[in-house]
Amino acid sequence: MVTSVVISVAAVALEVGSLALLLRRSLWRVYTLLFIYVLWLLIGNSTLFFSFLYFPAVYSNLYWQSDTIDVILRFLVVWEVFRQTFPKSSRLNRSLSKGLGIIAFGLLLFACATFWSYQNYTAFRSIHLALDRSFGFVQALMILGTLVTARYYGVRCGRNIRGIALAFGAWVSISTATNAMADLDSSFLSYWYYLRPLSFVVMIGVWIWALWVYDPNPPIKESESVELRQWTEDWNRAISTARTIMRP
Amino acid sequence: MINLILFAILGLALFGSFIFVALQGSLKSLPDSSAVRAVTSIINLEGSSFANARRLLDDTDYQVLCSNPDLRRLAERHRNDRRQLALTWISLLQGDLITLWRFRRFLIQQGVPSSVKEELGTLQALVLSLVLLNLIRLSIRTVGPFALPRATRQAGQLVDSMSKGAALVLGRIPAAGWAEIERSWVKSAA
Repeated sequence: MVTSVVISVAAVALEVGSLALLLRRSLWRVYTLLFIYVLWLLIGNSTLFFSFLYFPAVYSNLYWQSDTIDVILRFLVVWEVFRQTFPKSSRLNRSLSKGLGIIAFGLLLFACATFWSYQNYTAFRSIHLALDRSFGFVQALMILGTLVTARYYGVRCGRNIRGIALAFGAWVSISTATNAMADLDSSFLSYWYYLRPLSFVVMIGVWIWALWVYDPNPPIKESESVELRQWTEDWNRAISTARTIMRP
Repeated sequence: MINLILFAILGLALFGSFIFVALQGSLKSLPDSSAVRAVTSIINLEGSSFANARRLLDDTDYQVLCSNPDLRRLAERHRNDRRQLALTWISLLQGDLITLWRFRRFLIQQGVPSSVKEELGTLQALVLSLVLLNLIRLSIRTVGPFALPRATRQAGQLVDSMSKGAALVLGRIPAAGWAEIERSWVKSAA
């Protein structure tokens, strides 16, 4: 009981802190989607905390309902990370957005399918756990995919987005794993009650560290069309040489 | 059941991946290609401009000469010549490194922003590179130029990375100011 209260208070306090950091120097204008999500977290978790203290009868129902909304709103963070890493004005966005959009759609279908197949599970425990798990897994994959793609193309991430993405991804993936374990074995539920909120508190802590200084993603360096043309010529020459070697 | 086990495993694997990405650190910023070109035009890098290191350290000719007993002495002379050339090249590379370091110091002196961490990192890279080049030099003197061809060839890359470091600092000032930097550098070097 005491531990739960301490974790809840710490979470709300850290959410207030991250909201204050976003409001300071008008960071919320840059990271609008993240700001909306943090605002939701603060409102949702404060309401939950008060219901836990004063209306324990409705707490459980409220918790799962807010968790369902949270699962959907988490996509705001995913989208924030993507749009900051590959800004709409960049050529990389124009080149990759279609392909990545198809992959994202495929992942969403996968999440829906795994959630649907939940009905086939032998032991019925919680539909909310399955929702959280299916979409959390996909969200973690999307964040990891964005980070890996950025690294592949040499796109640098500033401290703000890097910290937000890594902490969020780590939290969502640990949440996926612990959710599955809790559904697998009910004895794990007692750990799950502490592990999930604790990892959430760590995530918010990392967000505060990430937002402490304004360090946005540096603009993507784009080659001149002349350089790209030169590269295309070199590439074609290399390919034709390789073909000649292979088929003398 | 299998779904749950898979989710538990994949969730942990994803968590591990995020930790791995976090530990890898962020990408180092690469210098602008025009800044790299500017550095090589401002500073005359004699050692790294030598493109035939592979040929210099190739022992094919030496082996051919050695295969003929009548040409053994000629082979020895050829080996000594190559040794001298390789030592000269290494000396030039060491000179390049020191020039690049001096140029970087000059840029900071001129007011180009840098951090203590960056400066210490550069100094560390310089010391390690010089130590490595001296070891290669020692190996060329003792066991000849053909013993460690790969390590010797890669010595040139030390200068390249140092050159990129200097270009990164130069890239922090507008390209319009590079001509002035070059003039001041020439004046200070004279």
